[in-house]
Amino acid sequence: MKKRNITLGMAVGLSVFISGCATTAPENPMVNEARASYAKIKDDPDVARSGDRQLRSARNELSRAESLLESGKDTVRIEHAAYLANRHAQIASEQAERARLQTQIDSAEERRRKLMLDQRSNEAEQARTEAEMLRKRMEELQAERTDRGMVLTLGDVLFDLNKADLKSSGEQTVGRLAQFMREYEDRRVRVEGYTDSTGKDSYNQALSERRAQAVRDELVSQGIERRRVETKGYGEQYPVANNDTSAGRQQNRRVEIVISDKDGKIQTR
Amino acid sequence: MNKHKSMLYTAGITGIALTIGGCASPGEPPDADLQSAESSLQQAVAADAREFEPVLLNDAQNKVADAKNLIEQEKYTEAERLLEQAAVDAQLAGARADTAKALQAVEEINGNIESLRNRINQDQ
Repeated sequence: MKKRNITLGMAVGLSVFISGCATTAPENPMVNEARASYAKIKDDPDVARSGDRQLRSARNELSRAESLLESGKDTVRIEHAAYLANRHAQIASEQAERARLQTQIDSAEERRRKLMLDQRSNEAEQARTEAEMLRKRMEELQAERTDRGMVLTLGDVLFDLNKADLKSSGEQTVGRLAQFMREYEDRRVRVEGYTDSTGKDSYNQALSERRAQAVRDELVSQGIERRRVETKGYGEQYPVANNDTSAGRQQNRRVEIVISDKDGKIQTR
Repeated sequence: MNKHKSMLYTAGITGIALTIGGCASPGEPPDADLQSAESSLQQAVAADAREFEPVLLNDAQNKVADAKNLIEQEKYTEAERLLEQAAVDAQLAGARADTAKALQAVEEINGNIESLRNRINQDQ
């Protein structure tokens, strides 16, 4: 009987306690936290767009936590609902952030694509300009395209008959070649000497070699590195015209300059 | 009649007692919650949460392990709560990992653009 009274007293006391709490609106820090998390994202358009499901779950769990708190249910249940509400709000917020970043990625990718296009057309433009320049310079040198590459033929006006010294007009012509070689540093040349068939083979051979070397020396004296210039004498071989006429012989007395490709390679005969 | 009435009364009480007892008794094991917590974990791992959010992922894994123990002890209500928490923990870990990766991607592509710009400026 006494025990029963105590129980009754406790029950009354508890209900007084609970209603006492209810009048000052019950508080729970975890519910507060969940409320704050939810408040932070509820009006975020990115959340509405990308985290809508999580936002709704957060709202549902939060109102569950609040009504459990209002009706004085046990703390474990209240805090569990608050925990879930908080997490759902955090997930929604991450999803929104992720979507924002994705927008940045998309626009950056677009920018990158445009830049790459620009660069490619830039490079193409540059390559075109360079090729055009090279063609012009070769034209100025009066180089001809042959199956050995670009070949510049210097007539016998460079040398006096049977001499291997460059005449001053020859120096000017070689000067243009030197200028070209300074501009195109990866190009090398091969200077080839040829004679007509007048005179002994051995004499012509030696003469063609000395003439080729004279052209190289002139190039070197104009600042071209020696290793970029090969020389070769062919004597009376490879005539380009008939040696029976004086006009033909004049054509055969010549120096040919073969210009390498851009890797420095030269086709030999 | 009176006896009958009292029998009905007893039956009613028994029924109520059974209902209450039913609530207190273990009920059904939270199989669906276990499944969804585990699939959330898998998704988080697939999103590289192990690399980007190891602590939170670990929490979620521990909660699932604890819940399994509780299920063995037929403490289904507590197990269910842990599983619900594990699921959202894992989802958050996965979402944060996704965000971190997106952030890395932004930085990478911006660096990319920067070096492209520099190269173009050098060419010109």
